Amino acid sequence: MKYVGQNIPRNDGFDKVTGRGQFTFDVHLPRMVYGKVLRSPYAHAKVLSIDTSEAEAMPGVRAVCTFANTTQKVWNGAAPMFITPLPHKPVLDQTIFTDEPKYIGDEVAAVAADTEAIAEEAAKRIKVEWQELPAVYEPLEAIKPESPDVQPKYANPEFHNICGGPVILEFGGDPTAAFDQCDAVVEYDVTLPRVKQAQMEPHGAVATYNPDGHLEVICTTQAPYPTKMILAEALDIPVSKVTVKNPPYVGGGFGVRIGLSGKAEILAAALSMKCHRPVKLIYTREEDFTCSDSRHGGYLKCKLGAKADGTFVAIDTQAWLNTGAYATFGTDLVGVCGACGTAGAYAIPNFRYTGWPVYTNQMTAGAMRGFGTPQGNAVVEPAIELMAQKLGMDSIELRKKNSTREDTKNWFPFPPGSCGTNECLDRAAASIGWEEKHGKAEEQTGRIRRGVGISAGTHVSNAAPFCVDYDTILIRIERDGTLFVNSSIPEIGPGSTTACLQVAADLIGVPYKNAVMKFGDTDAAPFDIGSHATRTLYTVSYVMADAAKKLRKDIFDWVGGKLDLDPAKLELEDGVLSCEGKPLGNLADFASQAHLEGKQFMASSCQVPPNCLPFYAQAAEVEVDVETGMVKVLKVAAAHDVGKAVNPPLCRGQIEGGVLQGVGYAVREEMTYVEGKGFYNKGFHSYMLPTADDRPEIESILVENPDPSGVFGIIGIGECGVNPTLAAIGNAVEDATGVRFHEFPLTPARVLAGLKAAGKI
Amino acid sequence: MAELHTTINGEYVVAEVDPDQSLAQFLREKMYLTGTKIGCGKGECGACTIIMDGKAVTSCIIPVLRAEGAVIQTIEGVARGEKLHPLQEEFVNQGAVQCGFCTPGMIMSAKALLDENPEPEKEEIREALGGNICRCTGYVNIERAVEAAADRMRKGE
Repeated sequence: MKYVGQNIPRNDGFDKVTGRGQFTFDVHLPRMVYGKVLRSPYAHAKVLSIDTSEAEAMPGVRAVCTFANTTQKVWNGAAPMFITPLPHKPVLDQTIFTDEPKYIGDEVAAVAADTEAIAEEAAKRIKVEWQELPAVYEPLEAIKPESPDVQPKYANPEFHNICGGPVILEFGGDPTAAFDQCDAVVEYDVTLPRVKQAQMEPHGAVATYNPDGHLEVICTTQAPYPTKMILAEALDIPVSKVTVKNPPYVGGGFGVRIGLSGKAEILAAALSMKCHRPVKLIYTREEDFTCSDSRHGGYLKCKLGAKADGTFVAIDTQAWLNTGAYATFGTDLVGVCGACGTAGAYAIPNFRYTGWPVYTNQMTAGAMRGFGTPQGNAVVEPAIELMAQKLGMDSIELRKKNSTREDTKNWFPFPPGSCGTNECLDRAAASIGWEEKHGKAEEQTGRIRRGVGISAGTHVSNAAPFCVDYDTILIRIERDGTLFVNSSIPEIGPGSTTACLQVAADLIGVPYKNAVMKFGDTDAAPFDIGSHATRTLYTVSYVMADAAKKLRKDIFDWVGGKLDLDPAKLELEDGVLSCEGKPLGNLADFASQAHLEGKQFMASSCQVPPNCLPFYAQAAEVEVDVETGMVKVLKVAAAHDVGKAVNPPLCRGQIEGGVLQGVGYAVREEMTYVEGKGFYNKGFHSYMLPTADDRPEIESILVENPDPSGVFGIIGIGECGVNPTLAAIGNAVEDATGVRFHEFPLTPARVLAGLKAAGKI
Repeated sequence: MAELHTTINGEYVVAEVDPDQSLAQFLREKMYLTGTKIGCGKGECGACTIIMDGKAVTSCIIPVLRAEGAVIQTIEGVARGEKLHPLQEEFVNQGAVQCGFCTPGMIMSAKALLDENPEPEKEEIREALGGNICRCTGYVNIERAVEAAADRMRKGE
């Protein structure tokens, strides 16, 4: 391996540090006009009448769209619409515009005009007569039979306000019976907030509909192909006539645009289909915060049983998660919460999980980094801590005793792969100083209490076989011997295109320098599901391995024929061909010669990737001020088994960024709903993101146990950084104060109330 | 409309402007300097940070006419032709760039700091970047990049 494992500067770095890199917000097209949306001020209402005549009459207004003049086809704005494997069916419950808005912010109409100011004014001049209807906001309220129906047409008819679910996971054991055989049983429950992805680039799209029937959308999606398919279906256009591309950069994703970006693409497209001009629609930060999918909040409870020696016997978890007004990823995510969040990390023979995706009259919840795993982790890991206390065991030893091994049978239909949990636990513990620092709550009497906590877990390295998850790739050698890769994966920030090219250069045997990837464009390459599920590097490497084999054969066959050598004896390394150790010449020369004879070296592949579980452990040290209730996270030591770090700084960047999101989740971030007004958090000012001057020390620890399924041993990393952080911090706060909290984030008010209730202050 | 006289990245500019626009809108829409990003439009995220008369400012909440007579530097004016500024190079080398949307503003805040204080303490770096939100990196490598650039600049680069 010449390039895999190297600290190669990312290939989009120059564009991004000079300001030349183009994002959707930067796109400007001839004749372009600007879109603005009219949103419902009510959490649930009926539009009795709508009058757009005044808006339409304004000079500069080019199109006004409402539910009355656009299609009422139902769809799902997230990827499940086209990646749900049979026999399952996705929940389709959205339309472009609605005459019965179901949350504050729901789209009722939109305007395109020559300037944003005119569009905004015109949207205000649309006259709507509303009839307010009863609404429900909390999942535990919404499941009661007397609560208002949120989606009477699309909810599961057997249950009240349940979206597609319930999702029940089992694999043979019977926890109910097994708890009776346990020496110790503990229970823990937790209420988790909605939090927001808060990616830096707001949702946006520039849609151009040509009267010839072709629609091109430049946008912020992190899943170009699923978006193309959703647009074609929802707008009634042949899928071959829809192009979706990134411009090419996307200012973060974290799950919020696996499919449409909010609804930016489809709103801009609907307007463009009316006025036949390019329509640019960029969400304001307020729209981004209050009208696009958040992480699911909700309530979870877990019962865990073990033998006296610490062997886990049974686990039963239930989750009621607030999926908001529309399905998007609701059903899928509640499943992953159970699978990755409660089933994968430990060997527990009697397992059950029941997840309830609950419709409410709030903004939709959908995918956010971790995709349910942080929620599952947040209920299981404290239960393990309680079990350790009950059995009088060190909680790290308890975790190590039960962690998933290579031969563990669990819910997953594929082998776990390499199992690095115990090494991660040891290294995270050593970094945080577990031995010296743990278990000191009772010795502390001052205002500032310190504690350490730990959490372990797993996730997936892509979504197969639970989703239709596959990659295609086209690769070729240019005349100068360099590699050109066509793939429709997006680059949303991790450095995927850099790392994938490092892998490709090694697999094929060409120099990394000058290798090019054309990405994020449905016209540039066939189907790829996009960047989600911790998958991009793991799965693109897999399809690349097959394509590389074919490309090398193509080269060797041609060169062997030319030089009368056995192709099987040829080798290609860093752009130099050789035969049994004897150099034959540069690939560039052969590529040039081949060109003159009408031949280009090229290959393609389409592969469904395997899957493996990425294991990790994070330890946190906190300081709790018992007078103010302020929790300060001092350090997070994050040990992740990444199999093989293809580009160590990029890999660490994934962990560090995830950890800080987890710190925010644990102690600061929270979407607060105010009845009648909607979410209080309409921007960064009212949503407490961690900043540079209040971040903890973050130590990212790369554990490298090569995975048998991963090319070069690679395991997915993307989402993992955020998954265990909240639980590690919650456990650390208990270690500091002796109080176990049941509601997050641990804001000063909650901490003070908890300390008071426990008689600690 | 009003007339604006200002210096942007070393060039004297006279332009007809809409006084209702922000400086960020003017830079992006009139001057096509789209390296200055708008992440919130309310001066809360720092993506629109530029250097005006030596100070890092959030250009999305500055009325364009406030730039009358000012000397402005945007991300496009930081490199000398193809030669990147040490901050730009270290942002790439240290893995301080991920999605890249906060990067221009982050670099401008860091540059304003180093222009004034070539030997900042860690705390001073954190404070200078405290108004710039990044959701990708956890700030670890961003701080490292600023330190590395400061180091190089002290050595005469």
